Amino acid sequence: MAAATSASERTQAAISVEDLTYAYGDLVAVDGISFSVAPGEVLGFLGPNGAGKSTTIKVLTGQLSPRSGSARILGQDVGRDRPEVQARIGVCFEEKNLYLNMSGRENLRFFARLFGMPRFDPDPLLLRVGLADRGGDRVQGYSKGMRQRLMVARTLVNHPDVLFLDEPTDGLDPVSARTIRDIIREEAARGAAVLLTTHDMWEADELSDRVAFINEGRIAALDTPENLKLQYGERRVKVRTRVQGEIQEELISLDDPEAGERLRAAAAKDLLTIHTEEATLEQIFIRLTGRGLQ
Amino acid sequence: MSLSRVLNVLRKDLRLGPRSPIFLWTLVLPFAATLLMQVVFGSLLDPNPRLGVVDLGDSEISRDVQAIEGIRVALLDDPAELKEQVEAHDLDAGLILPAGFDEALRAGEKPPLELYISGQSARSDRAILAVTALDLVRQVEGSASLVDVQLVSLGEGEALAISERLIPLLVLLALVIAGVFLTSFTLVEERERHTLDALLVTPLTITEVLLSKAVLGLLLALAMAVVTLALNGALSAAPVALLLSLLAGAVMSVEIGLLYGTAARDTKSLYTLVKSLNLLVFAPVIFYLFPDWPQWIAKLFPTYWFLEPIFEVAVNGAGLSEVWFELLVSLALSVAFIPVIIVLGRRMQAQLGAA
Repeated sequence: MAAATSASERTQAAISVEDLTYAYGDLVAVDGISFSVAPGEVLGFLGPNGAGKSTTIKVLTGQLSPRSGSARILGQDVGRDRPEVQARIGVCFEEKNLYLNMSGRENLRFFARLFGMPRFDPDPLLLRVGLADRGGDRVQGYSKGMRQRLMVARTLVNHPDVLFLDEPTDGLDPVSARTIRDIIREEAARGAAVLLTTHDMWEADELSDRVAFINEGRIAALDTPENLKLQYGERRVKVRTRVQGEIQEELISLDDPEAGERLRAAAAKDLLTIHTEEATLEQIFIRLTGRGLQ
Repeated sequence: MSLSRVLNVLRKDLRLGPRSPIFLWTLVLPFAATLLMQVVFGSLLDPNPRLGVVDLGDSEISRDVQAIEGIRVALLDDPAELKEQVEAHDLDAGLILPAGFDEALRAGEKPPLELYISGQSARSDRAILAVTALDLVRQVEGSASLVDVQLVSLGEGEALAISERLIPLLVLLALVIAGVFLTSFTLVEERERHTLDALLVTPLTITEVLLSKAVLGLLLALAMAVVTLALNGALSAAPVALLLSLLAGAVMSVEIGLLYGTAARDTKSLYTLVKSLNLLVFAPVIFYLFPDWPQWIAKLFPTYWFLEPIFEVAVNGAGLSEVWFELLVSLALSVAFIPVIIVLGRRMQAQLGAA
């Protein structure tokens, strides 16, 4: 498995986790996981409900103390240097925990003050998440998508070096989801390390530099989406041709010694489409864990 | 610990206050409770008979009657107005002194004197006012009293009116609503709405959160207790002793609020806690209303130790030297609560993460 954290990675990593374990009583939720996230990297954390994704985030953000192992953010121990770590991270919860009786602007200002930024101007952030014209309205009047965009804006008030985003686009309309995905890309481009949990395989594939499959508290696989697909997917293409007015499909394995000949033969016919048949992340996940993501 | 972060949370809660029903209730309750006691039950609770006097001449009686303790006197100009007020039971009785009354009395003419009695007045009040009127007339006439009556008060609480005995209840209500309910409710609300999770992944610590809630409850409890005493005319001549007593009450109330707030997982369990335990909080008040009951029982309840100084200073005019022991016990109890609050606060934080 490619999850091992090398010494060089540890020195450079924004998030560095070694053999981390957490249990709720007798129930082990996180079972000796190790991984690292470099500055500017987006790590997609994929797994079904109860797999241990949110617990891992809670440990890394100082909400829970690990039973064993180590968790370091920007070189600092999360348990020991919690205030220093929390000053440099941004956390976007799955639960929309905004102050509903405050305006969007007031929410951002309040959190900025907690980070020691009394002169924080929320308007650029509101503009960035598409809420510039609604910043003065109370959050209770916001739609689900607007609230989630404000959640993301709140995550960014302290210009964090590490972002923890727990299902940031779950159930959102396409416009809001796209806005948030754009922001994730921009933050990563700025140099922030991003740990993103999601059920959405397409989103993980689209956004993540690497993905970790987590199941029953353990990391089942960790690599780039491309490598995972190559490693676990099938090297074949689906060829569709029209023969005497009828559409025919043919699967050609690229490992077949006669693959080249078969492709040329198909091209000689009335060729309609050729599609690669690489596995999706979900198919790989099922193959590795024996269960789906929902 | 950052004072700046504590103040930021406090400022947020104060700003959100007018948008919160519990906050508004805190501000309104002292007025509502006092109004309820004074307006709805006012005549029942007023221990003093109310006498209206219209002096059509320049009688000594209208001057002397105002010096009598235990009678509320209202001087009016118009006999018709006097009769209206007596009839409406705004006054228990009305006395009309005709012009030249004193001179006629001294001349031995036995002039008629009209004393109007309200049909709704208590029999005891009628007797008191009738005897008082006769006594005043005799003084003007110059005849000596047959006997010199000496008043001897028996029993510690005999001299206090019910309205004065209700002051501990009213002050405790103000302290409990602001100190206990507001403090615990704002904390549980943050927890229930998961905003506390968001706060605790910033540099803000759970101790700072608890402290900010405590300061909010403390300020409002103190202010509302002072307002309650002012509304009931019980602001003492010993302001330092009174302030310290109220401060002791506000601190303990806030601590009880923090205990509730850290122990309760949600609003429902908070209400269960309040319903179960508030009997213990309010129990000492009963002993002020029923002074014949064994008073030592009240001392078993923590709230007694700040209520007693408040009562003694505000109602009986005691000074710091007379209530220092109770204040010391109250302080000791407040200090003893602190580690319990810290333990419950940490437990709450662990529960939050594990939720």
